[in-house]
Parts: sequence; structure tokens; C-alpha cells
Amino acid sequence: MQSHSKKRVCYYYDSDIGNYYYGQGHPMKPHRIRMTHNLLLNYGLYRKMEIYRPHKATADEMTKFHSDEYVRFLRSIRPDNMTEYNKQMQRFNVGEDCPVFDGLYEFCQLSAGGSVAAAVKLNKQASEICINWGGGLHHAKKSEASGFCYVNDIVLGILELLKYHQRVLYIDIDVHHGDGVEEAFYTTDRVMTVSFHKYGEYFPGTGDLRDIGAGKGKYYAVNIPLRDGMDDEAYESIFVPIISKVMETFQPAAVVLQCGADSLTGDRLGCFNLTVKGHGKCVEFVKKYNLPFLMVGGGGYTIRNVSRCWTYETSVALAVEIANELPYNDYFEYFGPDFKLHISPSNMTNQNTSEYLEKIKNRLFENLRMLPHAPGVQIQAIPEDAINDESDDEDKVDKDERLPQSDKDKRIVPENEYSDSEDEGEGGRRDNRAYKGQRKRPRLDKDNSSINNSSNKTSSETSSDIKDEKEKPEPADGEDTSSTTAANNNSSSNNSNANSNNKSDSDASTPAGGSSSTTASKGAKENNI
Amino acid sequence: MATNMYRVGDYVYVETTPNSPYLIRRIEELNKNQTGNVEAKVMCFYRRRDLPNPLVQLADKHQPALEEERTSPTQASAGANSGNSSASNNSNNNNNTNNNNNASAGDAEKSESLTSKQRYQIKHRELFLSRQVESIPATQIRGKCSVTLLNETESLQSYLNKDDTFFYCLVFDPNQKTLLADKGEIRVGSRYQCDIPAKLKDTATDERKLEELESLVWTPEHSLTDRKIDQFLVVSRSIGTFARALDCSSSVKQPSLHMSAAAASRDITLFHAMDILHKHEYSIEEAMSSLVPSTGPVLCRDEIEDWSASEANLFEEALDKYGKDFNDIRQDFLPWKTLKQIIEYYYMWKTTDRYVQQKRVKAVEAELKLKQVYIPQYNSGKGNGSASKSSNAAAGIYNGTTNGGADLSNNGKPCESCGTTKSSQWNSFSNGHMPSRLCQSCWDYWRKYGSMKSAHKGDTNDVAEAKKKAALSASPALTASAVVDLNDDDKVSDLSNRQLHRCSIVNCGKEFKLKTHLARHYAQAHGIAISSGSPRPIMKTRTAFYLHTNPMTRVARIICRSIVKPKKAARQSAYAINALLVKQEFTNRISGKSQAEIKKLLLLKPKDRGSVTKIANRLGAPGSGPHEWLVLTPKDKMPQPVSVSFPKPPKAADGSLVYERVPNKTPDVVALPVTTDKELSIIPTQATSTIRKRAHDEHQLNGTEVTIVASGPPAKRPNKDPMPSHCPSPEQFAAMMAASGQPLSRHHLNGKQKIAQMARGGNGRKQVISWMDAPDDVYFRATDVHKKTRKILSAVDLRRAARKPWRTLPIKSMANEPTSKPIESQIVILD
Repeated sequence: MQSHSKKRVCYYYDSDIGNYYYGQGHPMKPHRIRMTHNLLLNYGLYRKMEIYRPHKATADEMTKFHSDEYVRFLRSIRPDNMTEYNKQMQRFNVGEDCPVFDGLYEFCQLSAGGSVAAAVKLNKQASEICINWGGGLHHAKKSEASGFCYVNDIVLGILELLKYHQRVLYIDIDVHHGDGVEEAFYTTDRVMTVSFHKYGEYFPGTGDLRDIGAGKGKYYAVNIPLRDGMDDEAYESIFVPIISKVMETFQPAAVVLQCGADSLTGDRLGCFNLTVKGHGKCVEFVKKYNLPFLMVGGGGYTIRNVSRCWTYETSVALAVEIANELPYNDYFEYFGPDFKLHISPSNMTNQNTSEYLEKIKNRLFENLRMLPHAPGVQIQAIPEDAINDESDDEDKVDKDERLPQSDKDKRIVPENEYSDSEDEGEGGRRDNRAYKGQRKRPRLDKDNSSINNSSNKTSSETSSDIKDEKEKPEPADGEDTSSTTAANNNSSSNNSNANSNNKSDSDASTPAGGSSSTTASKGAKENNI
Repeated sequence: MATNMYRVGDYVYVETTPNSPYLIRRIEELNKNQTGNVEAKVMCFYRRRDLPNPLVQLADKHQPALEEERTSPTQASAGANSGNSSASNNSNNNNNTNNNNNASAGDAEKSESLTSKQRYQIKHRELFLSRQVESIPATQIRGKCSVTLLNETESLQSYLNKDDTFFYCLVFDPNQKTLLADKGEIRVGSRYQCDIPAKLKDTATDERKLEELESLVWTPEHSLTDRKIDQFLVVSRSIGTFARALDCSSSVKQPSLHMSAAAASRDITLFHAMDILHKHEYSIEEAMSSLVPSTGPVLCRDEIEDWSASEANLFEEALDKYGKDFNDIRQDFLPWKTLKQIIEYYYMWKTTDRYVQQKRVKAVEAELKLKQVYIPQYNSGKGNGSASKSSNAAAGIYNGTTNGGADLSNNGKPCESCGTTKSSQWNSFSNGHMPSRLCQSCWDYWRKYGSMKSAHKGDTNDVAEAKKKAALSASPALTASAVVDLNDDDKVSDLSNRQLHRCSIVNCGKEFKLKTHLARHYAQAHGIAISSGSPRPIMKTRTAFYLHTNPMTRVARIICRSIVKPKKAARQSAYAINALLVKQEFTNRISGKSQAEIKKLLLLKPKDRGSVTKIANRLGAPGSGPHEWLVLTPKDKMPQPVSVSFPKPPKAADGSLVYERVPNKTPDVVALPVTTDKELSIIPTQATSTIRKRAHDEHQLNGTEVTIVASGPPAKRPNKDPMPSHCPSPEQFAAMMAASGQPLSRHHLNGKQKIAQMARGGNGRKQVISWMDAPDDVYFRATDVHKKTRKILSAVDLRRAARKPWRTLPIKSMANEPTSKPIESQIVILD
């Protein structure tokens, strides 16, 4: 399963992070990060990646998202001066779930520093996968702490990524809803937040299927409300099709995955029934898209399983197989009685029927269909001499393959190097990186696992649905905008152009692919005709 | 089997009274109580009929919304809020309407297809979540059901089609009497969203310097092979082992090589090795030499190794007292440690054997918390006989088959609900005033869903309307009966009967949630040890303490020196200082003193012993000539040792030394009565190791009757060595001790071999016994016999004995001693 390509992996860790303590009886234990780190060393994974000690994020960096007062408050509050801050503590929701503990601000600094440094690293293309298990604190709001989170390192990281990436996808597999991140990007179309979580009498209470974003960001928040007892199989059956569809329609330039381990079986706060393997499969699946990839931690309150899970997921990122037998380490006794890496699910009932999941999925597909294509894409004029061979090899497409080659190619092809690909009729979106010509295309690896195969059909079926749907909203302006395409740098015009192409090519039954540049040039060509 | 197995998280029917509908609950916890019965902590769900009337109307407002178009759950909740002045979440409306454009049309179609009967029945499937938790005996559980948060993608009909399925969308707060939607909100506005930075031009380079954001600690880009790195790690561990051998403080804690090696193999050494390797640009040679600088080999110790045994004791004591409140622990017990050190130590301490005991306690407590429980099918049929006989009962069950004749006497009425006249069983049902009866299926429906299967004959009105009527006229309408008799307040109050544990001491009466808390309270506040069913030791077995002397105490010591008699007290630990007297005296003497005087008292006054030069001069004063004691004794007149303790072994023919097996003990010396010609060893070196040996060992060893009195205080720590079979034999142990350069007697006590070792258990796992379990300090307590014996000895002999403890001492005049008692060697362990 881990046969895919080796990546350059950067890992962020500060040896101090394990020694912060939220307080007696508090389920959040930063020490799990240290336990993971020690496991990584003894598994020999440590030596296979670049290890960085992150800087401490400055208040300046934090205020990129958080309000000044809130950061000032975090910086000044200490257990010994708490009484002076009673009012502010209430205002910023610091006290119960988010206690004031020794070194609180430093802890936030380290966690945020790691994610920001990782994002900058990805921006500089100095790494393909960055990991910060100390991050992932997805509940923190702009000026409010929530759910054990004070500073939202994810939002800070994504903001950094947005400087160089037109669209960033955020995926959240914590058992809790990623409300902090969703709220921060609720009204933008440049970040899509996808959260899989338990919904119903559960913290934080948000994440309804109907919450889909607002304003420009409408349809850019995707919530998958789940019930107790999700097992590996059910999780995969919803994760894979949704993420495939999201990748297809949103076409992110970078991905952030929050790997909250409280969705594992037996978690102190969670109520799902996933194993380490099932959890890791999500990482594996997202990794296959070969996009700049930031992995962060998150929840996880049965610390032995958290360190198991994150160790395994690091090995997935590195594409290294590790033994099920745990190596000896300082915390070996925690992993008794079996001392194995993998855990087995419990016999709890899965309250998510396949019927329920199917319905949710369909509703979300409907929403995703509403996405205008290629939000905010900046387009450059396409050179006339672009190779245009969209028509010749329709039959080469393997219908059983997950996404036809064409579909992958349409995402970008710098300099048209994949000249034998088919044109994609569906959307004239281009990846912003297309003209950068530096990054690999986000194609899936050929050796698609069974996960992908199972999802093939749904995704290709729905992608054809999408076509129909898309034609509806703007059929009229297809004609006039298409004339301007070649020179116009406007994305929507490009889309409608593609749609009109699509209409005229309606006999092309397979969702055809091709680089966006070829699509665009095709439009140009037709205009000439 | 599976249907009767109830787990935490299951939704269940609960029967409290035989004639009312079941309650619906969710199991939160299953606990075994002391009598062995299982108690379930459950979360309450309410039916529509359990709500107070005004709220029912609110719920009804919500209900048609559910049926006709799904647009307005938030409207309904907003309505509820307006009535109850609670926080509303109007902002969701924006989002909902978004969807409703495409979604509600389909839903409306679906719901319109519902017949009025379905619409009526659907209300029986709606529940209201409350966040209230109560305790019930598990025997009241009567079956499973399923309750889910209604999702808009689901049709209500899917609930009707399946038995025992319920949904909820609103949350009922029985204390505040409010209904709310169970929903958080995503807020929109500049106060909540972040400003999105514009994407930079592709040509723009990031002005941020990575060096400021991060520092590289390790990179995989180097020329070393994995094997090389592994080798380097082994080298660093061996250097660590050697460093521990050189370090005195380590060698006390880790008296064996095994322990040193285990300590040197901890992750901190490895991390350090990796760091060093990186610092020296992956040159093994350079890294290696930096591990052994001229100042001696590098020693990396983590917290668990750094802490002394007494610090460890303090920590455990503190943990017992304060729980895991590390701030308090630091303040009151370990002020010289940083909080981070304590936390790191705590997490590592959990891996040691010392934690095992606590873990066991936890495990026993956890055993009381069940994950699942088997409750056999409650067979209501069996109870029929008695129930039908007690005709007074509101809900007698008439068994139609056995007493069909008598059944007719029950007016031969048709079923109150469905009108059938045939049923295998009849259940009498009282709706207010008129007695009536229900057929079996309607009875089941009544129990499960809390209402009649179909609306009352002719009464096609909604239940709510019927309820309104009931409220107005107390009419005996069917639905009203469900409401009558049940006072809302009663309902609420009997749900909050949580069990609390109250302290039984007069004038205390504190309440605790857990029995263990109560037990702890007893122990701490009242000094009573009460076995709470939990094996957690309440009374302390160890006494480690940290005495903090405040200035006033010091003043008291100084002022009242005559009463305290510090020198005497220091010499005789049993000497009791009369604290009361000291207090009295102190207050007397201090009363007239000013602040400055007290301060002056506290200043350390150096004792005037005269100048050193003076003394030196006096000692070196010429004239007295060379002292006799300064003249060297000629070699041949030097006293020869009676025996050489380690004589060279005889040489064999080939010139090599012949080693004999050293007998490991000479107990006869200790045990036999002292006689004149026998020599007595005052400090039986090797014998100490046998002192606490079990008797049968002695038998096997020398076949003579040995009486060894193993008295003295009990061992400080029980032997928790999990693998006694892997303990070294006494011989091995002696060898180890010799190798470690320690006097043998110091550590080998009580026949327990406390020593860290790496042993492979049957399952192939390494067992590491921590040096935390290393033996403690020891002193020798002399008995009267010893003292007498000492007096017999000449000063010279005594001094010699002190210098060479292994020497046997000649006892000359013991024959005159009347005593023939064996000397009791008592070892007292210092705390």
C-alpha cells in the first residue's frame, strides 16, 4: 500500500512541547507528542526525515488571524495573576475547558510556530510533506479560546499557504468539528474546509450538513455529520468519494490535513471506532494527490493510541513500512499488554447506516455541484501554438480507472508535456500552478488501491452529472464570453467558455480530460472557427 | 445474546412503573455497586407527553415545520427562545435558506405524502434530549431502541417504518423549562473571519527567512548508512554506561552494570547522539570524539534517572496527597524542581514498577465500571398470574387464554385503541376515569411510544389540540390521560435523585460524588481508615517528609535551647521534646523582644574557638621533642593480621593460581553461642546477606539448626520484583557487588535482590527493573550484647575493626559473661 513515491518530509518538533500540562484531570496531554517523537526515533523514522525545531511564533504572527487583545491577553495571563483577569478570561472563554496553565503562551507559540514554519517551507517548495504533531488546534477562534485550543495554528498555516497557493483545501478527521478553521474561512472561496465529525449532542455543536459557508464562501464549507461508532469501512466509504469529488471540483493547490486522533476506537472523548490503519488510510489517500501537504495533529485523548496513530501516519508520509511490534522506548510500558502498533476496533455498533451515509454523500455532491468552477483563477493568455489534440484518443481511456488520465491531466500540464491526453470537457479550470510550471501535477498514482477503484464509479458518474448542472446556471453568456477567452484573464469567462465547448461536444460521452491550457486553447480554436 | 447485551452508549427502554410507558434513556456508565448490583447512569430523553404544556405548543410549532417544509427548525427554536429568553441562533437562518431552495421542494413532496395517521404517529417518535443524568438499577432496562439526531436528508417515514427508532432535534432543559435546537453556530462578520492575504505574484519570493523560523536538527541527506548510524548509537550507549561507572552519584543509584547499561540506553542518550552526529556534519569520527571530551565521557540523564530515591518518595507521597496537581506538588514538596522536570518525571514514572501498584488499584476501580452488561429478557408474560390477580393494580394483565371466561367480565370491551376484540392477551388500561383495555400490540405500542397507535375514534385532531382540551376541561380523552396525574415538577424532581455519599461523622456531613473521595475525606479529615471496597491504601506506609523551618521556629530553637536540648535530641532520636512547654516558654521570652532583637537572634553567631594560628603554634611548639607515638614501629614488630582475608590462592604445578570456590556464608559464626576460644565477628559481613533468608535455605545450606531473629522494622518497600526467577543468585550478586566496588553488606538486604536487569520474559519482551527500586541506606543497630562485647575489646582492637570490617576479632574474656544468647543482628533501614 505504501509503494508510492518517496517524498521529502519535514517534521517539526520542540523537545519542550511534551512538558506542558493542562492541569489535573484534563484530557489534553501534550506529552503524547513527545511519546510519538520517541517512537519515531526508535522505529528509525527519525533519521529518514528532516527534523526541525520550530521557532516560537511571535505575537505579530499570531495577530495575522487572532485579535490583538486576545493575543495580548494570552501573553500576559499566568496561573499566578489569573485573578486580575477575571473579566477577560470570561470574554475569551479561558478557564474551564481551556485552563490557564504554566507556559500556556509558550505552548501556543511552539504549536503555531511549527505550522507557520511548515507552511513557509511548503511555499518555498523546500519540502513536499510537512508534519507538525504539535499543531492542529482547530477550535481556536479569532478572539476566543475553545475546546483546549488557544491559538489556531492551522489558520495561521493556511494564511501563509495562501500567499503562494490560489486555493487551499483543509480536511479535518478529528472526531470533533473543525469549527475554528471553518469559521475563519467561512466567507472565502479560496479555502475549502471539509470536516468529518460526530454531530449531535457533541462538542462544539456546529458542523451541520446545512452549514455550507456564506457569501463568497458559500459551498466552500463541507460538513459531514456522523453518528457514533464509525468504523474503518464506513469511514472510507464516505471519505474517499467526498475527497475525490472535492479534489476534482475545487482543485486545491495545497492540502492541510488535521489528523486528530480522537476518532480512534477507545478514545477517552471520542465515540468512533476507527483503527490506526483506517485513520492512516485517510493520510494515504490525500497523499496520493501529490499536492503540497501539511499534516498537523489535533485531538486524541488516549495517549498511547495517539502516539501509535501519529507514528504510523508519519511512516505513511515517508512511505516506509514499519513493524507491528513496537520498538523499546522510554514509554514502552504504556503500550501494554500487547506492545503492538496496530489496535483492533471494539464491538460497538455503528449507528451510521450505509443508507444514511449515502444520503449525506448525495447531498454533499449536490452542494459541490453548485461550486462555480475554478474560483478566482488567474489566467494568462494561452499561446496559440499550444498542442491541441483533444479528439484523437477517446478510446484510450480506461473506464475502470479512477480518474481517467485525462481527468488528472486537466489539472495542469505545464508546457503540454502530456500531449496524448484527452481534453476534459467539463471545466476549463486551470491550476494556478500550471503556468508556474514547477510543481508536479496532482495526478493520482497509477497503482490506485482498492479504495480508489471503489470510488471510481461514483466520481466519474457524478462528474458527468456536474456537467449538466453547470450548464444550467450560465448557459446564456457562454456565447458572448467565449469570444473573449483567449485574451481575457477572467476565470469565469473561461469556465463558461468551457461549458459552451462542452455543449457543442455533447457527443463526447466519457468525461474527457486534458490540460487546462489545451482546453483554453481549444476554446480559442473554436472561436477561430 | 447480542440483543440482551447492553453497552455504554446504547439507547434503552426503562420501566419504572408497570403501567406507564417506558422511559427512554441512553446508557452513559454502567457501575457495579458494592452489593454486586449493576447501576446504570443514564441520560434522559423526554417524550412529547412529558413536556410541560407551553413547551408542547412550541414543539408543535416545530413539528409542522418538520412535516410540511423543513425550512424552519431554527424558526421554531427562535420561537422557543422568545418564550424562554434563551440564547438564539438566528444567524443559521441564512445558511438554511441557502439549502432550502433546492432541498425543501423535495422534502415537501415527501412529507405531503404522509397520511394524517402517519403524521399522528410520527409525534410519538420524536424525543427531546435533556442533558440530565440519573441513576437507575440496570434491572429496569427493558430493551433497546435507537435514537438519532434527525438529519434533514432523512425522511420521517424511515422512522415509522422501523420499530423502536426515535429521533430528536430539540433539547429540553427540565430545570429552565426551555427547548433549544441542539446546534452551535458559525458566526459571520469581521470579528470572526480572517483577512485573506492576496496571492503573491509568482515571481515574488518569500521575504521570510527560514532560518528565523526553524533550525535544522537532523537531515537524511548524508553519506552514512543505516548500519553506521546504528553502530554509532551503540557506541554512544556504551560511552554512557562508562560515564555512569565513573560518576559516583550514578554508581550509588545503579550498583550494577546492567542498570547502568539500561540507564544509558534511554532515549535521551540516543537523541543526544543524533544531535551530536548532526552537529559534526555526520562525521562519525568527530562525533565520537566529542562524546569523550577531555573532561570525561558525556553523561546524559533524564529526569527519572536524575531524581534520588528520597525525591522519588517525596513525589509519590505528594501524588498521593494532591493527585496530579503538579503545581501544588512542586510548591509543597519539591520546590527545587521545575514544573517541567516534575511533569517529565511523572510520565516516565508511570512506566516504572512503582506505578504498577497504583495501576492495579485503578484497574480494580475500572472493574467496577462495566463496559457492557447482560440483562436477560424481561418476560412480562410470566408476571401475568400475579398481576391479574391483583385486580387493584391500575394495569392488570388479563391472560385471555387462561381465564377467557373471566375476561368477558371485563365488559368484553374491544381494544380501546384499535377496536379489535381478539387478542392473545389483554391489558387493562385506565385512562383517567374509565377503565378500558388494550390488545397486546396496542399495549406494546403504548409502552414504547407513550400513546395510542391510532388517534382516538372520531378524534382526528392533533394530540396537541387534545391536550389543550384536556387542560381546559380535564376531559377523559385518551391523550389527555397521558398528561393527567403527572405533575411536571414531580417528573423533574424525581429525575435528579443522584446518589451522593455523605460523611457520617457528626457535624461534618460533607457530600462526595465518589465513595473513594469519601474514604479519602475520612482518612484525612477524621483520621479514620475506612475500607471503601477499594484497595487503595489509605494509611501511609512510608514516611518521607520535607521539613520547612520558618524563622520563628528557628528563634524558638535558639531562645528555648535549655528546654529543647538540641544536642541531646540529636543524639537520642527517642527523646521527646515537650512542645507545649517550649511554646509557653517561647511566648514568655519573646514577648518583650523587639523585631530587631529577634532578627539579631536569627543571625548566625560564629563560635569563638580562638585563632587557628594560635592553636597551630601551640601544637607545633618545640621543646617537647619527638613524641613517642610518632616513632615508626619496625616492620617485624608490626602486628600481623590473624588471617588474611583474601590470601593468594595456592599455586598449581604449572604456576597458575588455583581458585577455590569461595564459601558464600559462614553462618555458624553468628549463630553459635559465643565461647572463649571461638572468635566472634562483630559485623558478620557475609552473614548480613543471610539474615533475612528464609529458614529452609539455611537448612539446605549447612544442615545445622540456625536461629536467626529477623526483627526490626518491616521493609520499606515490598518486593515488587515481577520476575523473581531472574534474580541473580547470591553468588552472582556478590560478584556484581564486588565488581561495582561496593561493600557487599550495604545493598544486599533481606534476601531480596533489588537490581535492575534486562531479562527476556516468556513473551520475548524486555523487563527492565528500575534503579528506583534500588536498596536504601542502612545502619547497624547495636544491641546490649554488642555494646558489652565492644567494651571487652581494647580500644586498639576496636579501631582496627573499624578500619578493617572484615577482620574477625579475638574476644578474650567472654567466658566470664553469663550470657549465651546469640547476638541479634538487627538492621535498621534509614528512612
